[in-house]
Amino acid sequence: MTVLRRTGQALLAPLLAVVIALVISGAVMAAIGVDPLRALSVMTDFGETPSQQVTAIVVVLNRAVPLFLAGLAVAVAFRMGLFNIGVEGQYRMATVVAAGVGASVSLPGPLHVLLIIVVAMGMAAIWAGIVGVLKVTRGVSEVISSIMLNFIALGLASFLLTGPLRGSEPGASIVTTKEIPESGWFPSLNGVFGALGLANPPRQLYGFLLVAVVVGVVVAVLLKRTRFGFDLRATGLSASAASASGVDAKRMVITTMLISGAIAGLIGLPDLLGADHNYGTQFTSGLGFLGIAIALLGRNNPIGIAVAAVLFAFLDRASVPLQIANIPSSVVTIIQGTIVLAVVIANEVARRIARRQAESGTAVAPPAAGDGSSGEPDAGPPSGPALSNASGATGRTDPMGSAS
Amino acid sequence: MAVTESAPSAVELRGITKRFPGVVANKDIELRVARGEVHAIVGENGAGKSTLMKTLYGMHRPDEGQILLDGREVVFKSPGDAIAAGVGMVHQHFMLADNLTVLENVVLGAEKAHGIGAAARRRITEISESYALGLEPDDLVEDLGVGDRQRVEIAKVLYRGATTLILDEPTAVLVPQEVDELFGNLAELKREGLTVIFISHKLDEVRKVADSITVIRRGTTVGTADPRTTTAKQLAEMMVGAELPTPETRTSTVRDTPVLELRGVTVAGQGARPAVDDVTLTVREGEVVGIAGVEGNGQAELVDAIMGLRPLAAGTVVLGTDDITAWTTRTRRERGIGFIPEDRHRQGMLLDAPLWENRVLGHQTEAPNARGLFIDRKAARADTERIMREYDVRAPGPNTLAVALSGGNQQKLIVGREMSAKPRLLIAAHPTRGVDVGAQSVIWELLKDARAEGMGIVLISADLDELIGLSDTLQVMLRGAVVATLDPGAVTPEQLGGYMTGAVAGTAAGAA
Repeated sequence: MTVLRRTGQALLAPLLAVVIALVISGAVMAAIGVDPLRALSVMTDFGETPSQQVTAIVVVLNRAVPLFLAGLAVAVAFRMGLFNIGVEGQYRMATVVAAGVGASVSLPGPLHVLLIIVVAMGMAAIWAGIVGVLKVTRGVSEVISSIMLNFIALGLASFLLTGPLRGSEPGASIVTTKEIPESGWFPSLNGVFGALGLANPPRQLYGFLLVAVVVGVVVAVLLKRTRFGFDLRATGLSASAASASGVDAKRMVITTMLISGAIAGLIGLPDLLGADHNYGTQFTSGLGFLGIAIALLGRNNPIGIAVAAVLFAFLDRASVPLQIANIPSSVVTIIQGTIVLAVVIANEVARRIARRQAESGTAVAPPAAGDGSSGEPDAGPPSGPALSNASGATGRTDPMGSAS
Repeated sequence: MAVTESAPSAVELRGITKRFPGVVANKDIELRVARGEVHAIVGENGAGKSTLMKTLYGMHRPDEGQILLDGREVVFKSPGDAIAAGVGMVHQHFMLADNLTVLENVVLGAEKAHGIGAAARRRITEISESYALGLEPDDLVEDLGVGDRQRVEIAKVLYRGATTLILDEPTAVLVPQEVDELFGNLAELKREGLTVIFISHKLDEVRKVADSITVIRRGTTVGTADPRTTTAKQLAEMMVGAELPTPETRTSTVRDTPVLELRGVTVAGQGARPAVDDVTLTVREGEVVGIAGVEGNGQAELVDAIMGLRPLAAGTVVLGTDDITAWTTRTRRERGIGFIPEDRHRQGMLLDAPLWENRVLGHQTEAPNARGLFIDRKAARADTERIMREYDVRAPGPNTLAVALSGGNQQKLIVGREMSAKPRLLIAAHPTRGVDVGAQSVIWELLKDARAEGMGIVLISADLDELIGLSDTLQVMLRGAVVATLDPGAVTPEQLGGYMTGAVAGTAAGAA
């Protein structure tokens, strides 16, 4: 019963949030003169022929794969209380270098692909590792350093693309790296459609989907079942309790950043190995930032992240049909934004309710009184809690101070 | 004492019942507190005192029953309402901003009352003088001692116009001398006609300071007692329905083999003065070494140094025959150091994690929790159930979140977990802090048994009776250094308090 109830509670908040977000988005659409119901019908219209419908599904899945990996990369760090905002830079660096290396060697099929994957993971892990080393040795906040490394990564990627790794003709409007030979392509999964008796769509379903599933399972097992995962989650729940239990906080920070980065290195590969075969100025950007939203939406849980990735991919696909139907495609951005906001708020509210219930479930003697989360009165004058928190003495809000 | 039969009680609670999902925290509570008295509420932790006080302070609303102030029924929707009605609360854990002055702390959040300038300063001085609190408005809180900080908290409540003060375990953080000062302050408050509700489970203190006592057991009031005619033993029996345990252990079980040796251990402090200053001591098998000292005199840093949580500036730590100075915390724990931390919420538990994960915490690499590189969830859950059974941890099951347990049950889980690893050396920092009488006696028994089996124990405690009762040797720490080694058999709490505050210097007779 408890399992059922807990799953129900875990699902309730994000579901409710998505519904609320849709309602708000609908109101915004109405306000800018778009019929929300028509927009919705355009978005959910996957076409008439089976071929069109399967193609739409392939497009959604192909977009969901990198989004899922991005969400995982962010979530792994989140689970130990690190905010890796630098996933964007990590995957861009990884993709350009992997594209360059992949184009410059020729190996038998599987080895070639493997080499590209390893190079991408390694490059992104190094890039993320810098953040970890800075935090451990110099105490630099990972948020600041990873944002700054994003800028460096984008600049460096452009330099590599236009300089040493340039493959396109001089003067071409789109600059790309050299094409990766066919031995370095990841086979598509289109055989599946034949086996299922569906129309074979013109689009290729990325074979990298399988890699993403494996990575998802590995991450889930790593977090939930291993000693390492326990240490990681313990650090995220309480860094002080974790180090008292024998977790080496510094090593943990670096290892986690390396893992988060290694996963981030995979983000660009579905497109690189499945469709584009080179890295160029038109390569998909922004996946790292979307990953943050997806990790939040999926509550840092691999299954939740998969659902969130599919949802975002679905919204993403809708932008072209919307434009064709003469509806601004920014509708999609509005929906994505409101969903993220609503989910973040809903999760926090759900967390507080759950904690308050648990906490007041017994007469926890002294700490509950001062914990603030249970006794927190309505927000008083803003200076009160802010000041007493700023002092950092206890990190608690002061019921006396804010209650006048 | 203006306790007349006809006058309505300052505070009266009638039939208060408060339910939370799955538990009834308070049931049919009856409480009458006369104006101008110090009324003590005693009971085990988890008995429902805190729930009751939260009800009275408006932090939540009762499901049934009435709250009457001066005979009139009131409904509190928030602490703000309670404050407006003249009920104030002094929390056990101080809520002060260290980097602000006394004036700023008192005024913070109550700027509407007297502004933040000269009027506020006048009012604070007035309060300080009329209740003999001895506060200087411009002192920085970080420079104040524990007793003074508590008086700032009391001033905060009075400044907001409270006529009824709830003090939640106010003596838990004080040494005997400070307790006497606090009782002096309470007498002043009483003389000025204020009502004090005093929560405690130190029964001797309650009998000293209270005019009347209400006893709570298992969520309901079991009766009232007159402190002048009731003994501490009778009170304790009302509280737990059983005999009062004592921490006494007189037969020595000390063996010759040392388990822990500290040689010249020095830990750097914030300023020029080291936090731990050249401490040398030995803990032998079967020996309890008590570390006495006013909080903040290096005990916490010493514990961190032994656990490997803080680097040493100088000195060596030897466990058995191994020099462990360079070992990581994990290796130290694997090789037989058990740790009951001072602040269980900060260092001992993951509040938002289930009990079985808390059982794994600190023993991630050991059986039955680990199987190779994996956590054995099934075995860990089963072992959590065993600990819950053997150590009387009252909770629905191993999947319950730790935050849902009362302090005593959380502590019993920690003690059970540490004992289960059969350590050679146990660091017990305030093992019975915030724990009820029942759990306290269980923990004392466990420590005694472990000692008899040859475990070496370092005991840090603010409860001087506990220190004197359990220890074989007492070391007094003052400003980071061990200033006295005492024989617990020949020292009284008052004498010990003297050493702790530096009033008495040197090593007393009977040093071990």
